[in-house]
Amino acid sequence: MKSSLPIMLAVACALLGIAAQPAAAAEIGQIKNTTGQVLLLRNNTEQAAKAGDVVEQGDILITGANGSFGITLIDNSRLSAGPNSRIELKQFRFNPTTQEGESLTEIRRGTLAIVSGQIAKRSPDAMKVQTPTTILGVRGTTFAVKVDQ
Amino acid sequence: MISLKRLAFYILAAGHFLSGCATVDTFVVLLPEEGGAVSAVTVGAGSRSTVLDKPYSAAAVDTRGNIETKTVTAEEAHHRFGEALAAQPPKPVSFTLYFETNSIDVTPSSRPALDALFAEVAKRPAVEVQVTGHTDRVGSDADNDRLSLQRAEAVRAMLIQRGIQASFLRTVGRGEREPLIPTPDDQAEPRNRRVEVTVR
Repeated sequence: MKSSLPIMLAVACALLGIAAQPAAAAEIGQIKNTTGQVLLLRNNTEQAAKAGDVVEQGDILITGANGSFGITLIDNSRLSAGPNSRIELKQFRFNPTTQEGESLTEIRRGTLAIVSGQIAKRSPDAMKVQTPTTILGVRGTTFAVKVDQ
Repeated sequence: MISLKRLAFYILAAGHFLSGCATVDTFVVLLPEEGGAVSAVTVGAGSRSTVLDKPYSAAAVDTRGNIETKTVTAEEAHHRFGEALAAQPPKPVSFTLYFETNSIDVTPSSRPALDALFAEVAKRPAVEVQVTGHTDRVGSDADNDRLSLQRAEAVRAMLIQRGIQASFLRTVGRGEREPLIPTPDDQAEPRNRRVEVTVR
């Protein structure tokens, strides 16, 4: 019995570790405005996006030919996209107490304007934007990016 | 032996092939900063990279990862990004409200800030409000945790009274953990008896 105790502890710790994984996606921000057609794609389910909708890590937003939207994330960063855009909130982690975190947003096509927030302020390059060819590292800034297909 | 005509065709085809293949994929432009803060974006494409650190400096990256930098005019930037820029949500703003000693009453001098908070909340579409209560270091940690949350909830109650939906209102009490002014324990400090409110 003596020798099996460490093993049991290890197994218990491993189980606890698994159980401690976040169970459900959490809110990372909110849609503040939309115009025209804007779709929110989550877990392969599509719905029309509207102001007040909560966004989560992994969400994909797609705008039509006359569509646009604006989002404010919980680190106070702001993302807004123009027509014919596909924007994915690939990764987002933010600790409101330490103000530390990291984010990765992908734009596959269209236009995206960004005002960075606490994540970029706290640690340069913790906020990243990815296009099909390029990785942008954000150091506390306002910028815009366009991807042509 | 290749005829001249044939050769010209090959050159044209090669030129066409090159231009057709290496089209601009990504165009990024740095915009002027609110308040003139330090700002920069690093642009990395494969092994190549550059840094944009001046307003209206821009980089075009083609599908082969070539980066070309230039400066654009404000008009050009707004022409390319007009709709996206028009959809930019308003900047989040913060308010600090101070409280009477061991109380959930806002001080008279914080009344204007409270009114400004109500006005800001009323004018924003899809507004979210984060309310964080704090205390000074007088009293026990447990009492201060309770008091800080009660202060936050007092502000929350006033906001709900003015019509904000509770679902977009978050309250938290931080006790004496995050003093605005660091003090020894058990020292009264009016600037630490506060509620911080972020309006998004």
